Amino acid sequence: MIGWLPAATVIAWAPFVNPLKLPPGTRLWLVLPLLLCVAVVYRVTRAQSASGLIRPTLTTFMNILIGMVLIAAGAYAAHELVLRLA
Amino acid sequence: MSRTDPTIEVTRIGLLAWLLPGAGHYALGQRGLAKILFVAISVPFVFGALVGGVKESINPRANGWLFVAECGVGSYTFAGWMLASRLPTIAPPTPSPYSSYYPESDVAQIYLATAGMLNLLAILDAMARASGGGQALFAREAARKRAAAEARAAAAPAASGSPSPPNAGGTA
Repeated sequence: MIGWLPAATVIAWAPFVNPLKLPPGTRLWLVLPLLLCVAVVYRVTRAQSASGLIRPTLTTFMNILIGMVLIAAGAYAAHELVLRLA
Repeated sequence: MSRTDPTIEVTRIGLLAWLLPGAGHYALGQRGLAKILFVAISVPFVFGALVGGVKESINPRANGWLFVAECGVGSYTFAGWMLASRLPTIAPPTPSPYSSYYPESDVAQIYLATAGMLNLLAILDAMARASGGGQALFAREAARKRAAAEARAAAAPAASGSPSPPNAGGTA
């Protein structure tokens, strides 16, 4: 084993040809780098120069993250409510 | 038609931005923003292609709508599609070494589609900057609103600057 991958898989693996196996439990956390990329691109479209982008980008990142967490919590609550009423 | 025709220039910038993330901004001289865009769009696309594999993830026959979203990043999608078309198709009952399955396929689709859509945003921004002398669209709109507000503010004293009505309750 190499990490979570069998050694034979690593040897035979060709990037972009053979899909990469993700470590278990990482799926949810992968939202964070994607949100960061979204925040960066959004902020770049509103910037006149690259300087001073860090703070507004982090603010946008946190806004999106908190919004998505609230939506997820609301959906979970609605799901639980429907299960109890059914 | 001259080389500096604005329509041609905007189209050229749009094409550059479509071919390579950040290339439109780079051609406009905004190199810092271009480098940031290149990284912020290339990383999710490359990661999605690594996790999903090109055979199923960048293939209009496997997932047409995903392919449409990926086409926001022209050169990457074309290269991935070329590679995908060279890989053999393996019958469904056999687990294919070229196919990704849950949860990797989900992650790959989300990353690839998001990268394509983000580059669409970057293309539109580059074209708007090309048509506006390098200024972001929001900056021009903000300047227009500021000018309108200043014009209103300048007009208001002029209107109220007319002789004030005589004081009705005043004593002579």
